[in-house]
Amino acid sequence: MAIREPRTLDLRDELRRGGEPLPQILEEVANLAPGQSLRLLTIFEPLPLYAVLGKKGFLHEATRRGEGDWEVLFTPGAASAEKLPSKRLSLATDDGAWPPAGTLLDNRGLQPPEPMIRILDALEHLQPGEVLEAINEREPQFLYPQLEERGAGIRVDRRADGVHLLVRRGL
Amino acid sequence: MLGHHEHIGDLYECHLVTRLWIVRARGGKTLLTGGSMAPLTERLSRWTLITFACALANFLLAQALIVLGFTWPSAALTGGATLAAVHLVTIGWLTLLMLGALSQFVPVITSRALLDQRLSAAALVLIEVGLVGMVTGFVTRDMARAPCAWCLVVGGLSVCAGVVLALVNLATPLLRTRPLPLPGRFVRAGFLFLIVTMSLGLLFAFTLRASVSSHGPLLHLASGVGYHAIAGVGGWLTLTAMGVSYKLLSMFMLAPEERGVLGEVVLGLGITGFGLTVAAGLLDLVWHGSVMILAERAGWLLIGASISAYLADLVRLYRARKRRRIELHNRAAAGAFISLAAALVTAAILVISGRAARVAPPLVVLALLGWLGGLGLTQLYKVIPFLSWLTRFGKMIGRGWVPRVQDLVCEPCAALWFFLYFAGVWLTVVGAAIETPLPMRGGAALSTLATLGLSREYWRAWRGTYVRLPPAVSSHAPTIQREDLRHGHP
Repeated sequence: MAIREPRTLDLRDELRRGGEPLPQILEEVANLAPGQSLRLLTIFEPLPLYAVLGKKGFLHEATRRGEGDWEVLFTPGAASAEKLPSKRLSLATDDGAWPPAGTLLDNRGLQPPEPMIRILDALEHLQPGEVLEAINEREPQFLYPQLEERGAGIRVDRRADGVHLLVRRGL
Repeated sequence: MLGHHEHIGDLYECHLVTRLWIVRARGGKTLLTGGSMAPLTERLSRWTLITFACALANFLLAQALIVLGFTWPSAALTGGATLAAVHLVTIGWLTLLMLGALSQFVPVITSRALLDQRLSAAALVLIEVGLVGMVTGFVTRDMARAPCAWCLVVGGLSVCAGVVLALVNLATPLLRTRPLPLPGRFVRAGFLFLIVTMSLGLLFAFTLRASVSSHGPLLHLASGVGYHAIAGVGGWLTLTAMGVSYKLLSMFMLAPEERGVLGEVVLGLGITGFGLTVAAGLLDLVWHGSVMILAERAGWLLIGASISAYLADLVRLYRARKRRRIELHNRAAAGAFISLAAALVTAAILVISGRAARVAPPLVVLALLGWLGGLGLTQLYKVIPFLSWLTRFGKMIGRGWVPRVQDLVCEPCAALWFFLYFAGVWLTVVGAAIETPLPMRGGAALSTLATLGLSREYWRAWRGTYVRLPPAVSSHAPTIQREDLRHGHP
């Protein structure tokens, strides 16, 4: 696959004006070259967009650059999440193969309970059975009861660069 | 946070979060239902919170004993009321507080669950009942014919049984975790010293009982009590507080958790120092010799080095934090660290001036009320709102409007109490240093008032008193009652 520069769309001014940028984003996505990524600059984490573009096969990686300053990179599928070996069994019934994660949340460097809020926010935007991936600095002990209550499953893999979590919305 | 959600609404209306919260049914389908909170979280938090409440009550009682002038210097240093106050602080306040906090933190440190939550409840009951017995035993000890001489022994046994249950619950995940991270190793060392402290305490209780029945003085007792105190205040409470503070401070200030060589030095010197001092001191009572005295002095030096390294590491930790504006609990914690530094200087002065009494009251006040008590009160100001937030709003995260943890507290309201608390403690220290009751009682009155004020702030954080619904939610949802919010129901 040819490596192309991602296309950048800066929505910060428009969002501050209270604009409606969804049509613009969708138009931009339609105009992407095959394999090309889209880099969005926003003033908040555009959680609902993950579901919209996820359905079009985009993976996303969000970075919080500062107060009210987010950069989200939407990359077309294929390079989907590798299958993580799980060390801990999910809380919900685990039926073997999980679909690849369509969302990646990098929660490192965030103060608790921010990582938990981001995971649960994103989880609520998944379709039943869909999976998200998150990288945390530590194992989210307080998240487990919340996932249990929501009937979601989790697989945890501790790695050198952080704790990698796969969270699946209950069926 | 609300602005954030409103923008999401602009962007993609059908996921409008505030509306998801308000409109429970869309197209006949329930989007968000009420119901009970996650039972596990609730149960877990409830016992921890009850433990904290008992701990605060014990602390207030102990301070009241000082304010009312029942304790040293108005009464004897080894008098019943003084010992009752000391044990109300060390067991009733600090040990309960630490055990309660550890029931939340050990799972975070080890990534493992506790053995059984019911053990926390049983431990609390046994410790609290035992403490009542111990306090009764101490207070009535000075009376003619000592009407409740057995209270101390039975109470002490009950406290020990409670601590053993708590230790089984907490130590199981600690011992199963390998490699254990640094904060966990501090706690593990603290547990060993807790067992030593408890065994010595029980021994004294039996000895005291025997001395009462035989009406004979026991010389060994007074000299050994100091080592029981060093093992408890130093080995158990200080080492554990160091470990927990490393974790808590770095988590909430976004500072690096890896403490490197310095962290290892603090732990290594601390264990060796407290261990050597207690072991040599106790052996010295049996086999009196210069080697033991030398070993004990070496122990004191190591303790001093450990605390100095810890304080230096804290400065490094505060400086390396990514979060510039830190929350009140971490700003106020500086009062506790200053008290620890002051305790270190006081101890050095006492040793150099040759007045290293076995029990030096200003040192005890600095360590118990300033360092450990101050750290406890400041960190509770984060732990309680966090647990409250988790219990009341955990179920609503991602599904509706949720306040920030900091929305549960009113920092300007609590800041004054923290200031008064430390001012009161330091006045008490001055009173203890000059052995004058008035400043000591006045200082204790200030710190008691501050503890009461802070207890009210904790209660408000737990009840969600300060939480305000954002205008966008409240204007669209006139049916949402504050009471519903408090109970975690949308």
